[in-house]
Amino acid sequence: MATSESNFKVSCRKIWKIFGPHPEQVKQALKPDMSRAEILEQTGHVVAVKNVSFGVRAGETFVVMGLSGSGKSTLVRCISRLIEPTSGQIIIEGEDVTAMSEERLRLLRRRKMSMVFQHFGLFPHRKVIDNVAYGLEIQGVDRNTRFERARNVLKMVSLTGWENHYPGELSGGMQQRVGIARALAVDPEILFFDEPFSALDPLIRREMQDELLNLQKVMQKTIIFITHDFLEAVKLGDDIAIMKDGEIVQVGTPDQVILNPANDYVREFTKDVPRSRVLSARAIMKPCDVVCSENDSPEQVQSQLQTYLSPIAFVNSENGRFLGILSRAQVDRAVPTVNHTVRPLVHDNQPTVSPHTFLSDLLSIVAATDLPVPVVDSSRKLLGSVDRTAVIMALGGAVDSS
Amino acid sequence: MVRWESVSGYIQIHRRDVMYLALLVLILLLPLIVDSISTELTEFPEAWDIHLREPLDDFQRWTIRNRLTHPLFTWFFDPLSDAVDFSIRQIESVLLWLPWPVVVLTAFLLGQRAVGLRVALFSAFAMLFMGFMGLWDEGMLTLALMAVSVIIALLIGIPLGIMAARSDRFEAGLRPLLDVMQTLPAFVYLIPVLLFFGIARVPSVIATVIYALPPAIRLTNLGIRQVSPAAVEAARAFGSTGRQTLFKVQIPLALPTIIAGVNQTIMMAFGIVVIAALIGAGGLGNEVLIALQKQQVGRGFIAGMAIVFMAILLDRVSYGFSQQQTVSNAQHSHGFHLLPNSWDRFAVVRVFEQGVDLLLTSCARLSQAIAAGVATLVSAIGAAVGKREAVRDVANFLQGHAFLVSSVLLISGLLILHAFAPYGEEFPKAWVFDLGQPVDVGVEWMRDNIYQIGDTSIGTGPLSDFLLIYTLNPIRAFLQDWLSWPLVILGFAVIAYSVGGWRLAIFSAAGLFAVGLMGLWEDSMNTLSQVIVAVFITVLIAIPLGVLSARNDTVEAFLKPILDTLQTIPFFVYLIPVIILFNVGRIPGIMASVLYALPPGIRLTNLGIRQISNETMEAARAFGSTPRQTLFKVQLPLALPAIALGVNQVIMMVLAMVVVAGLVGGGGLGLLAVKGLANPMRDLGRGIEAGIAIVLIAMILDRITQTWAKNREIKGHH
Ligand SMILES: Nc1ncnc2c1ncn2[C@@H]1O[C@H](COP(=O)(O)OP(=O)(O)O)[C@@H](O)[C@H]1O
Ligand SMILES: [Mg+2]
Repeated sequence: MATSESNFKVSCRKIWKIFGPHPEQVKQALKPDMSRAEILEQTGHVVAVKNVSFGVRAGETFVVMGLSGSGKSTLVRCISRLIEPTSGQIIIEGEDVTAMSEERLRLLRRRKMSMVFQHFGLFPHRKVIDNVAYGLEIQGVDRNTRFERARNVLKMVSLTGWENHYPGELSGGMQQRVGIARALAVDPEILFFDEPFSALDPLIRREMQDELLNLQKVMQKTIIFITHDFLEAVKLGDDIAIMKDGEIVQVGTPDQVILNPANDYVREFTKDVPRSRVLSARAIMKPCDVVCSENDSPEQVQSQLQTYLSPIAFVNSENGRFLGILSRAQVDRAVPTVNHTVRPLVHDNQPTVSPHTFLSDLLSIVAATDLPVPVVDSSRKLLGSVDRTAVIMALGGAVDSS
Repeated sequence: MVRWESVSGYIQIHRRDVMYLALLVLILLLPLIVDSISTELTEFPEAWDIHLREPLDDFQRWTIRNRLTHPLFTWFFDPLSDAVDFSIRQIESVLLWLPWPVVVLTAFLLGQRAVGLRVALFSAFAMLFMGFMGLWDEGMLTLALMAVSVIIALLIGIPLGIMAARSDRFEAGLRPLLDVMQTLPAFVYLIPVLLFFGIARVPSVIATVIYALPPAIRLTNLGIRQVSPAAVEAARAFGSTGRQTLFKVQIPLALPTIIAGVNQTIMMAFGIVVIAALIGAGGLGNEVLIALQKQQVGRGFIAGMAIVFMAILLDRVSYGFSQQQTVSNAQHSHGFHLLPNSWDRFAVVRVFEQGVDLLLTSCARLSQAIAAGVATLVSAIGAAVGKREAVRDVANFLQGHAFLVSSVLLISGLLILHAFAPYGEEFPKAWVFDLGQPVDVGVEWMRDNIYQIGDTSIGTGPLSDFLLIYTLNPIRAFLQDWLSWPLVILGFAVIAYSVGGWRLAIFSAAGLFAVGLMGLWEDSMNTLSQVIVAVFITVLIAIPLGVLSARNDTVEAFLKPILDTLQTIPFFVYLIPVIILFNVGRIPGIMASVLYALPPGIRLTNLGIRQISNETMEAARAFGSTPRQTLFKVQLPLALPAIALGVNQVIMMVLAMVVVAGLVGGGGLGLLAVKGLANPMRDLGRGIEAGIAIVLIAMILDRITQTWAKNREIKGHH
């Protein structure tokens, strides 16, 4: 990606974490092609995170996905230095976390970031409200203020009325709501989620995912979200990093990852994805070859169509909004007439789709027409087009990499 | 008949083990071959005696001479001693100043708060019992000694436990020390403190503190380390400082375990406070001691009962509090029954229970109302002073602790009343009745009739003679005369080597040799023979009972309260019933040891078998094993690690008791230690030597059996 370092809210550079008595030595002696199992065999050290670099933009949800044991938890804990990385740098808002003093780090944890845990990590001896208010309590915020804030956050996660219960009396889903509320109570800019929904039933899990999406629409926090569930990653992530044996094997948007898996490991995950409900028009649309203005003459359009050997032309209005399409036959018929522009030829009842339209919805639209369907954004700016072939190919898993 | 294959499958004899076995047999037979040498070697050469007692006695004389002048005393031991003495006096005088009804009421309220009405009634009864038996003052002194010891032990132990939990290195340093401390028989703690603190209450408290310290440290450490790492990590992730994590997360979550440690500390302290009568601590234990010395069994029996009741009270109340600390804060269950539930079929009982229930609920309502009233009052005052905010928390607290508030009000009310119109200064003399006499009569009768039943050879007397003639004496003769000392040491070394390798072998041999060097070989073999017989009897009873209770829930349910009570009673008290039944000598000591050591033997066997997974048992049944096959091929082999641990505990407890049995004519090392305590001016040096020998033997036996038990465990995990 071409974005420069400073645009990132959080960025990691070459993070390593090796568990064992002599991590530094092992790192030095490491040959690049040695597998994790070999290293464990020969040195007794576990390479949990291996040379990982990535950047997360403000307001983005960055998902780290990988099988159990691939080092996700270790990675996310290295970022907040709950686990001391063996080497590498973590930059948060331009400041090097790895170089921070304990004091400064504590401040960062108190004010800037918070975390939601896989097994909730609630304090069983504290009532729900005291759990939620914990972060504020240790900052020395007075009781009334912190309870008021805690009540507000509990409302956000729909737990009003449960303030005075103990975590043990709540269901798993509710406990994790408490976990989320506790993380939100300190109003952090960065949130870490370590497999927060893995311990929940599938139905509850989906519900919580939707709720998180809704919350995030309002909050616009920077989120680093860990999961082993590829569907969850696709659903929640703006960007996904896929980890294997401590390394990141691919980073990209969900569509990029699904359509262009970097290797078999990644492809294996994408297999189970219900593409029709995950891939959208944006992922499979192609640029339009012939785009003309309503003021162009039929001759001009005809010559362009001939140049590109294209069957249709997309027509934009003067101010760049999409108007409709013209087939080659229509243009050919219009050339001998007196029309000065192609404007009168264009019908404005042409169906269009938004870039976010999922394949499942596209299917009926492309089935009804032989022509490519234009993809336009909310201001009716033409982005590209999708045709029947592209939709069918994408559904089938084949990738048109052109 | 158990067929050989099933036994061999169960024991899993390895070739290596056979070799060691052969070696041991060889050692046993050696005297036959080299008969002439062995007779000369029977006695440990007197010339080798290093006379450790002399410098020890010199040191004691030196301490007595310099007590008033040497800075070590004037600047360290004396101030410490004064402070402890002052605390004991204060607490004792408060307890004695308190009108006795207030003390009884307090015990009642504690019982009610900790567990419920049954324990409350029992607590009140235990206190009243002391009064009725004319032991009120003794009881208060014992309580005062206990309180001071427990408070000091907790003040030291809990912080040490916290430190151990926070530093692996500190824990690693502390652990071997604690291990050794827990191995030593309670008795030996009394001896060295005499050197520095003289005789009477202060050394008792010091010995008690040292003895009762380990569980406080251990359980605090354990509790904090057991706190879920997730909770600690969450605390860190939110930016807690180390101190915040400790006080807001770790300690609150460790509290149930810490309080369980307090319970154990209290029980251990009580055990030794009672026996500290030996060094002049006074109190209830002193009654028992006098009774033992003067053979006034009745008197000792009554004091023993008072001690048992007090022990049960202390245990139930402190255990109750530890159970209440569980996190979920479950509400008290409704439908309280004072009498057994099954009695409900009698109409009278139902009416009675309803009455009790009504009384309890009204008391609860009343105390709620009182607390609410006090809370309102406090709020009003707060509002008047203008500190509404600060007072609100206090008011909330008061409202939430109705029981505490009303109890404190009730007791203060009674005390204020006492200030104006004194009452209950002393337990009414007229109410005291002497049970000692009738008990003595009963004991006489028992001796006449149970010691030997009719003209038959059945009774405790013949049993005692049988044990003496056919087990104890032969074993002692075997160790002492047949084997001779070098072979005993060699035998121990071989066993130790086969179990734990060279280091253990050298440790064992050197330890025994040191015992010889102190001129204590004969006494040690005497003690050892008693230990062997007692352990043998205990294991013979405990393992079948454990197996039985593991296979039958009714037996387990029946044994549980008995074992609970046996484990609560301070070991000193066991000496009373056994001298009733077996008179004095070595046998009563062995019997007391058996009683004392049975519970862990039974419990660990039971536990070991019960914790075998259901699936394994089902598999055994699915293949059509008979119950006996299941027992010998599956249950016992899998339970072996637990049983081995049980044997280890049995040995340690037997040893602890056998040495105390020096008090009832058990002889051996225990007698020397008792003499040292009874007459420190003359015999302390010898007593300390005996103490060291006991410590060495305890450590050798513990290391060997502990290692052996651990080996079983590792094999069991293959
Ligand atoms: N404290 C530790 N000591 C040694 N190895 C560890 C430790 N924590 C994690 N590991 C190892 O590091 C690897 C990555 O673990 P983790 O980060 O928990 O993976 P994930 O969260 O992706 O399941 C695993 O092989 C795990 O066994
Ligand atoms: Mg994980």
